[in-house]
Amino acid sequence: MRRDTFVLSLIWRETRNLVKSTSVSDLAWVVLGGSAFLAYGVGNAVVALRRGSEILRARQEPWIIVLLAVFALGLAGGVILSKVAWTRAFAPFLKALPLSISERRRMVAVAALSIGAPFVVLAGAGVGAACLRVDKPYAAAWGFGAAMTCAAGVASALFLHLFVANNEAPNDLSTPFANAAKSIPLPWLGAFDCATPAWLGVWACGLPAGTLRLTARLFATSFLFLLAAALAIGASLARHEAAPAAVAGMIGGLIAFMLSLRCHPLASPVLRTTPRGFTSTWLRLARLPLVLSAACFVGPASAAVIAEPSAWTTPIASGLCLLILNGVYAVFAGFFLNAPLLAALAFFIAVAYAGYESLEYGGAVIIGFAALIAFLWHESLRRYRHG
Amino acid sequence: MDEGEALEVLTVRGVSAGYRGRRIVADISVALRFGDVLGLLGANGSGKSTLLKAVTGQIRLMAGTVAIAGVDLAHAPERAKAELGLAIDGPELPSALSGWQYLELVASIRSCAASDWPCGDVVSRLGLSAWLARPIAEYSLGTRAKISIAAALLGSPKLLIFDESLNGLDPLAAFEVKGIIRELAATGRHAIVISTHVVETVPALCTRAIFLADGRIVEHWNTQELARASQAPGAFESCVMKALNARALHSATVA
Repeated sequence: MRRDTFVLSLIWRETRNLVKSTSVSDLAWVVLGGSAFLAYGVGNAVVALRRGSEILRARQEPWIIVLLAVFALGLAGGVILSKVAWTRAFAPFLKALPLSISERRRMVAVAALSIGAPFVVLAGAGVGAACLRVDKPYAAAWGFGAAMTCAAGVASALFLHLFVANNEAPNDLSTPFANAAKSIPLPWLGAFDCATPAWLGVWACGLPAGTLRLTARLFATSFLFLLAAALAIGASLARHEAAPAAVAGMIGGLIAFMLSLRCHPLASPVLRTTPRGFTSTWLRLARLPLVLSAACFVGPASAAVIAEPSAWTTPIASGLCLLILNGVYAVFAGFFLNAPLLAALAFFIAVAYAGYESLEYGGAVIIGFAALIAFLWHESLRRYRHG
Repeated sequence: MDEGEALEVLTVRGVSAGYRGRRIVADISVALRFGDVLGLLGANGSGKSTLLKAVTGQIRLMAGTVAIAGVDLAHAPERAKAELGLAIDGPELPSALSGWQYLELVASIRSCAASDWPCGDVVSRLGLSAWLARPIAEYSLGTRAKISIAAALLGSPKLLIFDESLNGLDPLAAFEVKGIIRELAATGRHAIVISTHVVETVPALCTRAIFLADGRIVEHWNTQELARASQAPGAFESCVMKALNARALHSATVA
């Protein structure tokens, strides 16, 4: 086996084994359900294209937005692929093998790009087909452009991942917390994390023995948060409008919650073999992220009230909205357990799709969305209890 | 429930369990009373860990029932698990927590102090004191086994389960753990299950033993048989080897 394709081959074998070990009924559900959803989505897209064909044929702006969306999709896909390939390249059974860091990086790049290539082609073909459907001139060029944009997204994510991961981890492959010199103790954390089960937040967030590792990623994230909050607050105060700061508070709070909520302890026998119920554990896991989310929300929300005191209901409404979104995401995180990235992706897709469908079916979509949440909740509960 | 059942800490009746619809263990029935120490033996892949996962409520039963201290695990899992102490497998431990934090986590769930052991200061006995402030990620296999055993004993649960927990322990710690198990059994307030490949520890430690092969109990030894086996050095070991060889021969014939 060639070394460069080792990770790719590993992922292929894992996928094949996963399919083989899945029961026929589960496979039937996935294939039939997936096909039905795909057909429904394609049908919807075709109808939407027919409706807007006049505008889409004449104007360029919608297609620029499409290209941006394709880039974002490529970026998200690239992040997932890089992460999956990276974890394989540094799997425990490979750590002892005489593979240099550069060889491992090459293996990651080959795997991510090989798996990403069909999606790039699919994105290009999709946009090209849409152009053909509305008789847009230069359909092939638009399709090629979309494919290149998607490829740029995948490549950017891969490059960033290799760069960041290369700076953070790979010199020491032995322990995850070997770089103790860059950690700062958080003595006050015990007070926030003392409710039963004690230290659950520390465990879930992976804060080694209650300390915080100062990484470039942490600094970059904090800086972006502060910058976005400052810009939104500034905009609100300058224009005497509550909306920018209130919305920024809601988005910031949601992102903080999503970045900090980790539900992997729900899969651990440490909790599953104790007299601790699913609901209380799940709520306990959300506690620390909720505090963080509230902390991110309070500043901009206060600025919103100061900027436009008469519109005090705006920050309250955004706060309620944040609470609901946090709750919904917590259900997704509880379902996807060890895959927060997948949970985030599924959450965004579900919310976006529900929003899109509500344009056509109105409030009735909420019932379907609530049913989805109930289903995910029930499955998580069942898995916690019975594996 | 009759009087006999009331005394049982663990009642396993006709249990079948496995993964993704495939049965790994089938028709297992075992009952443990206070003071019992059950040795669980079998080759790799014989179903020992699957059985223990079924008994501790980590996988769904395909058939049969499990009751811990008279409480049905399927109907009231939280209540049943209140009387269960499982020594978690090393890699499953929360590696981000320090040893002390892990003990506090388990203690908070069991509503007891983080030093509430039924047999003295387990941390000192197992030589864990120097490690408690460090993250579990830095622990060796043996140190992970020690913290796992210490956590399992917190709050004095009636049923204690050690799934190959003696593996990787240094001789001193292994001696201490065996001593702890004997002490707990002698109190008559606990029942203990030990799954192990260290065959020679079984007659010295256990009051009963069962041998699993292909997911079924194919051999069992009662207190008298184990006592007899422990009198002659290597007698029990050769008995188990015979059973293992017989199963290997049977499997080869079937294949």
